[in-house]
Amino acid sequence: MRRLQLALLVTLLALPSAASAEVTVQAYALPPGGGPHDVAVGADGIVWYTAQRTGQLGRLDPASGKVDLIPLGPAAAPHGVIIGPDGAPWVTEGGTNSIVRVDPRTREVKRWPLPEARGYVNLNTATFDKRGRIWFTGQNGIYGRLDPASGAMQVWDAPRGRGAYGIATTPDGDVYYASLAGSHIARVDLDTGVATVIEPPTKGQGARRVWSDSRGRIWVSEWNSGNVSRYDPKANEWKTWKLPGDSPRTYAVYVDDKDKVWLSEWSANAMVRFDPESEKFEAFPSDRRGANVRQILGRPGEVWAPESGTDRLIVYRMK
Amino acid sequence: MWLLAGGAATVWCSTAGGDSARGERVFQRCFACHSVVAGEDKLPGPNLRGVIGRRAGTLPGFRFSPALIEAGTGGLVWTRATLDAYLADPERFLPGTEMGMPGLRDAVDRRDVIDYLEKSGPTSRRTP
Repeated sequence: MRRLQLALLVTLLALPSAASAEVTVQAYALPPGGGPHDVAVGADGIVWYTAQRTGQLGRLDPASGKVDLIPLGPAAAPHGVIIGPDGAPWVTEGGTNSIVRVDPRTREVKRWPLPEARGYVNLNTATFDKRGRIWFTGQNGIYGRLDPASGAMQVWDAPRGRGAYGIATTPDGDVYYASLAGSHIARVDLDTGVATVIEPPTKGQGARRVWSDSRGRIWVSEWNSGNVSRYDPKANEWKTWKLPGDSPRTYAVYVDDKDKVWLSEWSANAMVRFDPESEKFEAFPSDRRGANVRQILGRPGEVWAPESGTDRLIVYRMK
Repeated sequence: MWLLAGGAATVWCSTAGGDSARGERVFQRCFACHSVVAGEDKLPGPNLRGVIGRRAGTLPGFRFSPALIEAGTGGLVWTRATLDAYLADPERFLPGTEMGMPGLRDAVDRRDVIDYLEKSGPTSRRTP
């Protein structure tokens, strides 16, 4: 296993003051060319990211700024990364059509390929349910489930074909995913695997990613419409807000531990925080052109955003 | 004005004569966002039927990234050679592109998928 120590290449940059004084923003420069797609931070504060263009998994220690790169194989092009209940990074490895676990201590790479008969599925994002199983989406029109304990994997055709994109688990353990090309979200039955389509109110909205708040309400980033919307499963109700600007494009969504909603908005080249109580948006523009944040994830007090266009990870820390 | 570095791979790949049937399989890497079926235009990426000869960022009804619009205004036209260079490393060829696909590293994959695209529909007339 090749391990690169790139501490000298890493610079910690203090960005211009953000919209809110209670938020500090810090940028970590990464080894160039990786195109960080997704990011995940563990309970220990270590940050993992997918260097999609170079086929590696990155590990950042925010305390020192040191970055290690773990190669995932010659054909690798990892898309998503999450932290599993075992504390390890789990990767939706689009290049080799596999679910991958990287041991955080030994860096051993373990791979569960999708059934060959499925062909290339364009693996996207994953989430764990409360039973230790990992659910994943493939943009070519599938979703699936892997039980790491037994190695059993099942793959289902997504209703309405291609588009399955972001996926998330609610505090109660329900699993929802978004379909970008299909412009809907779906709830997955954890026992039968059946996905039930739920239609957002805006036609052709391009639901890209989903995240749950503490009450199990599903927040949806809508790429085509530039909206953020919220689905309340208990009330079966939707509410929708347009992001600021003339023609916003809402890519990623994440709800933090205070139930504030973080979004990446590409037209303004900004991260945006939405307060559902006041219904106000607050923008944190990037200081670099073409930040292209494709996913957001955090832990209490921290929100992390990978700038795929600038090879940086940005952290927003709440005081 | 868009000029391509004359690398051997680019020159070779800009030549037709690949395996378009294989290219259709390679196209599965693009399938989530693109179609070559006429009228299938509600996907996250632009319809690629007739993309050869099309000025970058100009398909009516599709909302392109500022980077692609700027490139098209600057004279970028999709030919076998420019597509090959773009597909090899989209972000490097066109910084700021919104296309999430990290690129097709294999030159034969690129040749075949370009063949597939070329055969999927009529070549577009070059716009001035």
